Amino acid sequence: MNGPGKKTTVWLIATLLLAMLPQLVSMPPAVLVAALAPLLWRIGSEFNGWKPLPPWIRHGATALGLIALFMSYHDLSGRRAAVSLLSVMLALKMVECYRIRDARLVVCFSLFLCATQYLFSQGVLMPFYGGATTILAMVTLTQLQRSEAWAHDTGPPPAKTSLLSELGFSFRLMAFAVPVGLAFFIFFPRLASPLWGIPDSTLDSKSGLSDSMSPGSIQNLFMDDSPAFRAEFFGAVPAASQLYWRGPVFWRFDGKTWKGGFYGRNIDAAEIPDPGENAWDYTIQLEPNERNWLFALDYPASIPPDSRLTLDFQLIRRQPVIQLFKYGIISNPDFMDAPELSSPIRLQALDLPDESNPRTRELVERWRQETPGDAEFVQRALQYFNQEPFHYSLEAPLLGANSVDEFLFDTRTGYCEHYASSFAVMMRMAGIPTRVVTGYQGGWYSGLGNYILVRQSDAHAWTEVWFSGRGWTRVDPTAAVSPLRVQQGSLGALNASRHLFDYSWLRGLRNSVDVVQQQWNDWVIEYGANRQAQLFAPFGLDRMSPAMLVSALFIALALFSVIIFPIVLRIKGPGRKDPIQQAWRTFLQRLERAGIATLPSDGAIEVAATASRRLPGDSETIYRIAHLYTRSRYAPVAPPFGELNQAIHEFRPKKKSA
Amino acid sequence: MNSTVLSTEQGSAGRHARLLEARTAVNDILLGKDNQVGLAFCCLLARGHLLIEDVPGVGKTTLAHALARVIGSDYQRIQFTSDLLPADILGVSIYKRDKDEFEFHPGPIFSQVILVDEVNRATPKTQSALLEGMAEGQVTIESTTHILPSPFFVMATQNPLDLVGTYPLPDSQLDRFLLSFSLGYPDPAEERRLLTTEDRARMLDRTSALLNPDDIRALQEDCEKVHVSENLLDYIQALLQETRDDRWFETGLSPRAGLALLRASRSLAFLENRDFVTPEDVKTVFPALARHRLSPTSGFSQSPEEQINELLAQVPIP
Repeated sequence: MNGPGKKTTVWLIATLLLAMLPQLVSMPPAVLVAALAPLLWRIGSEFNGWKPLPPWIRHGATALGLIALFMSYHDLSGRRAAVSLLSVMLALKMVECYRIRDARLVVCFSLFLCATQYLFSQGVLMPFYGGATTILAMVTLTQLQRSEAWAHDTGPPPAKTSLLSELGFSFRLMAFAVPVGLAFFIFFPRLASPLWGIPDSTLDSKSGLSDSMSPGSIQNLFMDDSPAFRAEFFGAVPAASQLYWRGPVFWRFDGKTWKGGFYGRNIDAAEIPDPGENAWDYTIQLEPNERNWLFALDYPASIPPDSRLTLDFQLIRRQPVIQLFKYGIISNPDFMDAPELSSPIRLQALDLPDESNPRTRELVERWRQETPGDAEFVQRALQYFNQEPFHYSLEAPLLGANSVDEFLFDTRTGYCEHYASSFAVMMRMAGIPTRVVTGYQGGWYSGLGNYILVRQSDAHAWTEVWFSGRGWTRVDPTAAVSPLRVQQGSLGALNASRHLFDYSWLRGLRNSVDVVQQQWNDWVIEYGANRQAQLFAPFGLDRMSPAMLVSALFIALALFSVIIFPIVLRIKGPGRKDPIQQAWRTFLQRLERAGIATLPSDGAIEVAATASRRLPGDSETIYRIAHLYTRSRYAPVAPPFGELNQAIHEFRPKKKSA
Repeated sequence: MNSTVLSTEQGSAGRHARLLEARTAVNDILLGKDNQVGLAFCCLLARGHLLIEDVPGVGKTTLAHALARVIGSDYQRIQFTSDLLPADILGVSIYKRDKDEFEFHPGPIFSQVILVDEVNRATPKTQSALLEGMAEGQVTIESTTHILPSPFFVMATQNPLDLVGTYPLPDSQLDRFLLSFSLGYPDPAEERRLLTTEDRARMLDRTSALLNPDDIRALQEDCEKVHVSENLLDYIQALLQETRDDRWFETGLSPRAGLALLRASRSLAFLENRDFVTPEDVKTVFPALARHRLSPTSGFSQSPEEQINELLAQVPIP
């Protein structure tokens, strides 16, 4: 039985590895071992000539792989687990893959594996990754095809092919597929709702803000430069200091951690704000974060589809955001939230754990006696943050049981959640209703795409204080400590480099390049029924029925075929690939440049005779080439091609003057 | 190219050397006709028969005579006339009174080399008696089959058809001849040599046999071993296909003609001391092979030769 051969096996493993790569990165260690060990064994066996493993070892390895999967994921129904299962099984297949048919199967499944990565990311780089995998797979398939063709044939030895020509061939095949793919993308009927959903939960670590806030939780996000969302404004963009993107709101404090409170209850429809005179109208492209919060500026006057607005103005989507989600929203910055505060809410907004933070309690009581007014008290607290030596820093020391005491009097170094938390506790001690709000602050304005890019590192925490007559009012204690945080963003406020590759020019570059991702999201990921309709509108086709779309698709495909098939046929044409013919053609071209015309019906010796008459000096070389060529083409045993090739390439006829 | 050794046998190389000597000897007698002499040898090696078509006096008979001499075979010349009968060629059975039985007297066809002069002067009945023998390699007289000798090589000459008193050979019988060519007038330099050097008849007498029938048979077998590559078969097929295009000829070349082309090309390659056929070989034999088999589409002013050359120029060599 003929196998794929060493070289092809290496290609095969490379294809499989590339197809697995994004999955490998997110695999738990045990699964990683299960996926890599069979491949390592196979490479070792190719180069050291190890014998194929007996069946009981192979079955044992399969069982071990399954156990590793179960131990790591507990359940094989999730996306990650299923893709890992496929990866591990394909890797194990390599242990018994000694036939061309099996190898071909592995290549095809590798392509499928590569396609599954779109379940996790649909970023702008994914098509490049997919393309690279496809090209690699094509090269492998070509080699498999060739080994199979030679297996049954005792004919001429295989032509030496270079990697470059194989890559070029694969690339050409891919290039032919591109227009077809494009036609399918543009014309394939889009459904308003998908036929099947992507499973909700995965085992990936969720990114972004969480449903609780404790010291360090936002600080961690600061290290994460991935985009959280992009906002596109219709009309003027608000100033940086107004860009408080509201997310989870916290009411309950247990001495260390802030947790939610009211987001179970929806706001009454009548209470939803009017857009008002200074409304901001904008669209948000929310990156998948597998959470339910939608972000908006204060105060949302509209509710995106499938979402609800809670009593404390959190926008919550019914399903977690697992795909890029785009929603339009209107915000009214002048809205007054809760002019009256009901007593259950007031109680909740003043609730603190008993007997904690005695030093803070003492300080607050002293101040309260000196400053009875709520607004003045808030000012006094902010001044305290501003004037005492507080530092805004990532290197916050760990805090113990009385975290607010320790922070306010001892460490005095912290990130926004420290300030928000301490401030809220102080206010509640003073009897001022306060809640903690987390979200994002600021963002980077892209002039090129006219949108604001908000990264995870822009995560922020602030407070809202209720004043009688003014309702809930935003107070950002961090701004009192470090005004730069609000004006220039989190990175501007900290001079320290976060990690080895953290340079401001690099960050600037990344921000600028983000416009590509934004356009990609807008045109590719978000390309649905509406975009489709928009695209055909200029042709007077407002809303095409699926039948019309399919017809359009086939017309487009037919048109592409008309263009592509002649090219394909030309490429496949005989003689093009034959190096002997190519060398001979070079020779004829050189003769032609020297002014010697030949006919296609002239035999090599006839050509030589003609050429020798015109170039008597080169006669010997010319005849030698003609004879070598004739022997190469017609003799039972061809002379080495190198001899002919060299003779032709060294042949430089002198141009005849006159 | 000339370095090729056809076979490891010493005898084979020696045979081939003697073949080339024979050719040189014929060339010396028939001045300036190298190409035609080569084709004549090619025809012999390919077990074919030759038709020489030309006006009288250009050396047809001399060629046949010289060829027969150098290949050392027994040689007969038959002059075809309109009153020639089949029995005059094949032979007759004569009653022997003393033995009280018929005895067969073989006719001139029972020779290894036969020169048939003016083949189109005889009646079709006589012509077909000859041509049947050429095709079958045997003749049947009074229900007895007689095998013709080997090698068996017929050279027929023919006057151009527009001369009076001829019976043109039908196409099916022309097909029995492997090659046909005309000798043409010699060019002035050669003619001058012809006029000044010694008498051709005396030269012929002096020429000795350089080969023998066994050699010829062995050489004929050697020819069949010449290699034909796929590329060359492509070319031959392309040529055959082109002749079947009705813008050239009334009818194209038959598969039998294709086989003949391959055989003749092999022999030519062998004659050139090559162990493989090149497109040039095919191009060289093609006009001689196609000339008498193809009749140009009516209304064409070109001669068959011109047509064939044009056709060759149309078919690219793969």
